[in-house]
Amino acid sequence: MDPIRDALDKAAPLFEKGGRLEKLYPLYEMHDTILYTPGEVTQTSSHVRDGMDLKRMMFSVVIALIPCILWAMYNTGYQAQFAIASGALPLDNWQSWLLHELGFSFRNTNPILCVIHGSLYYLPVLITTMAAGGLVEVTSASIRGHEVNEGFLVSGMLFPLTLPPTIPLWMVFIGIAFGIIFGKEVFGGTGMNFLNPALVGRAFLFFAYPAYMSGDAPWIAANFSGVDSFTGATLLAQAAVTSGALEAASWWKSFFGLIPGSMGETSTFACLLGAGLLLVTRIGSWRTMLGVVVGTIGMALVLNLAGSATNPLFAVPFYWHFVLGGWAFGMVFMATDPVSSAFTDVGKMYYGIGIGVLCILIRVVNPAYPEGMMLSILFMNMFAPLIDHFIVQANIRRREAGYAT
Amino acid sequence: MAKAEREALLDPLFNNNPIALQVLGICSALAVTTKLETSLVMSLAVIAVLIGSNVAISAIRNQIPSSIRIIVQLTIIASLVIVTDQILKAFVFDVSKQLSVFVGLIITNCIIMGRAEAFAMQNTVKMSLMDALGNGFGYAIILIVVAFVRELFGSGKLFGVTILQTVNEGGWYVPNGLMVLAPAAFFLIGGFIWVVRSWKPEQVEEEFHVGALLEPGHEGNLR
Amino acid sequence: MQHSTSYILLFAAAVCAVCSVFVSGASVLLEERQQANVELDRQKKVLVVAGLMEEGESLSRVEVAKRFETNIVPVIVDLETGVVLEGVDASSFDQRKAAKDPEASHPAPTNAAKVQRLPNQGQVFQVVTDGRLQSIIIPISGAGLWSTLYGYIAIDADLETIDGITFYEHGETPGLGGEVDNPRWKALWKGRKAFDKRGKPVIAVKKGMAGPPETDPYNVDGLSGATITSRGVGNLVRFWLGQDGFGPYLDTQRAGGST
Repeated sequence: MDPIRDALDKAAPLFEKGGRLEKLYPLYEMHDTILYTPGEVTQTSSHVRDGMDLKRMMFSVVIALIPCILWAMYNTGYQAQFAIASGALPLDNWQSWLLHELGFSFRNTNPILCVIHGSLYYLPVLITTMAAGGLVEVTSASIRGHEVNEGFLVSGMLFPLTLPPTIPLWMVFIGIAFGIIFGKEVFGGTGMNFLNPALVGRAFLFFAYPAYMSGDAPWIAANFSGVDSFTGATLLAQAAVTSGALEAASWWKSFFGLIPGSMGETSTFACLLGAGLLLVTRIGSWRTMLGVVVGTIGMALVLNLAGSATNPLFAVPFYWHFVLGGWAFGMVFMATDPVSSAFTDVGKMYYGIGIGVLCILIRVVNPAYPEGMMLSILFMNMFAPLIDHFIVQANIRRREAGYAT
Repeated sequence: MAKAEREALLDPLFNNNPIALQVLGICSALAVTTKLETSLVMSLAVIAVLIGSNVAISAIRNQIPSSIRIIVQLTIIASLVIVTDQILKAFVFDVSKQLSVFVGLIITNCIIMGRAEAFAMQNTVKMSLMDALGNGFGYAIILIVVAFVRELFGSGKLFGVTILQTVNEGGWYVPNGLMVLAPAAFFLIGGFIWVVRSWKPEQVEEEFHVGALLEPGHEGNLR
Repeated sequence: MQHSTSYILLFAAAVCAVCSVFVSGASVLLEERQQANVELDRQKKVLVVAGLMEEGESLSRVEVAKRFETNIVPVIVDLETGVVLEGVDASSFDQRKAAKDPEASHPAPTNAAKVQRLPNQGQVFQVVTDGRLQSIIIPISGAGLWSTLYGYIAIDADLETIDGITFYEHGETPGLGGEVDNPRWKALWKGRKAFDKRGKPVIAVKKGMAGPPETDPYNVDGLSGATITSRGVGNLVRFWLGQDGFGPYLDTQRAGGST
């Protein structure tokens, strides 16, 4: 027989009721069910409508994220290598030391080298996220006596992609722990959270440690303070300051994501690949995504018309907004989170439109936050139950009116 | 001390805390708790006003005509707050400058009005004094706890004395900027309520439904 | 218990009388002390920017007053002409209050510091030790990112070099723009030149790091991650040192005006 199955079966009595490690049952169950089909079978007549369970759904999202993850590793490395090739210095950290010891050149933008360089920044953040989040999940599951949920797997994959490459690991730890506890556990765990936990964690870091989450420094893993011609600011931040910034930049380069930014958010193309899978498997709602697009275009056009002499962002056309900042990543992976978005079909449209409109408003009108996607999604998360409420009430009223006649 | 008096004094500390259970006085708890010094002074100011108003109102409770009782209570409370504000300006000017309008806003602190109307109007002076002390210290406990966390993690200091030397001053500690912003007090008070209610589960309220606010038979109209 | 109308009126009157005696009593008794506190507070701020007192240093009331009186001469200046006004009580003048008073102020011309109203008269502090002018302290204010910053800047007696800067009130983001309070950053201003050779205010807060004062005298390091606050500080300093602010006064000083 399978040795892993044997080992699990042998360990089972330890964790089951009455066993010595009864408190840690969730830890056992988590490993058992991720490796094998659960042993429980339905005893009464079953009502399966779809083979899609929570576990498979979460796994599909992880697969949809793969293009973004690969791109995150490549682009993080590419931005660093490119900056160093333009005269910046490698950061004084273990990553640079390791690359140096391995004899890699910092000045070369060879794709394989870039992926290796980038993975040295991305992987530690991912591992820290998984370790910290797992710790919080298992602890709270043990205290509350429920099973560890795969929901965390997705939050844990999303969170590192929303962070800049130079984020200190201890901040990653605090951020995801805060996100899970205050974004999810206080409300009762997976399925009860009305906010997206990964975004709550990111918002926490954004407000707690703004110097590490915004500005010019964090987006490129290189020390370019001595290079006057080089700015580390994201394209979106540049567009907020200088009116010609976007004309000088290439839309396609931005679309494919060869720009500085949070690790996973730069490539609209990679996000669209993921969106394709989410739409085909019907995990991500096309209504939400369409709503975001419509809201973005609408608001951007209104602001284009309104115009402003002092704020160059007013003039930014909508197709540029699509490829800047976290717009695409937020729309595809954050806004469509089935738990924190609206539930009703019509509600999802309004919810999406709200995100699009607010994102552009925050980007353009608020001087301090060039990126608006995170805040607009969190804001609409809060309104999702209210939107649903009104949709349901309207539906009830309409049908009541039908009966009355 | 008689049992009733002891209860009036000790109950508001944890069992019936004005902030944690009744969720009153939140406004000032958010605004002044970035530093221990300001929270301490604010707490003392609230305790002083609370004692003054409870004792004064309890002393004349049998004389106050019920038709004008709220306005009488308000007049007394407002006078006490103004005097407190004047005293702070005269003796702890720096702190009073930081507290700015929030001392004046003690007038609108629901704890004070609430205790006056709900307790002092019905009880003896001595009982009202105990009640004022209990509620005042219940308020102070939360303010001090919140301010302790916010000042320590937000600026690395306690009572203005550096504990964790921050990076900007040449140390190692990266201050948590969120702690200096008002929402941090929300999280901390929320966490405090969580802790208290896990410890004393009888404080957990019945679950709240949106429907509870709606008129039966007229869903959609808020009551 | 039912009360007669006359009882209610009498009761209300009595409560009001007692409360008003109480409140006005406190106000009258404490007013002198409060005035002294306001004055002390302002003196401390000026002493700090003049470098005559450490920030947060605890000094007795008497000591502060002594240092202020021996070293500082408050002066009221007509902003438009730059003439020092004699015979005005300079110690009780409040420039911020004056800027809000329609009688004592006028709308400011459009400016980068987003100053809305200008007082007709401004207050500067001359730092004089042993009869010699050391520096001139000028109040500054203007828009940062979220809030209006209020502070003072000290210009050396050569009317060119900056001796110090301080902000005593602002609402910028803690850790970013809020770093205008950081003593290390404030120390960077000392020794830089506020004016170019022709007396035009050119000092700027640069993005990134500025060179040492000897080679890069007209720039100060930006606050990292706080572009808008940094720019705002540069704007407001240049505004108040410029022709709409205290420029005319500084010109009269350069021309050898009365000290």
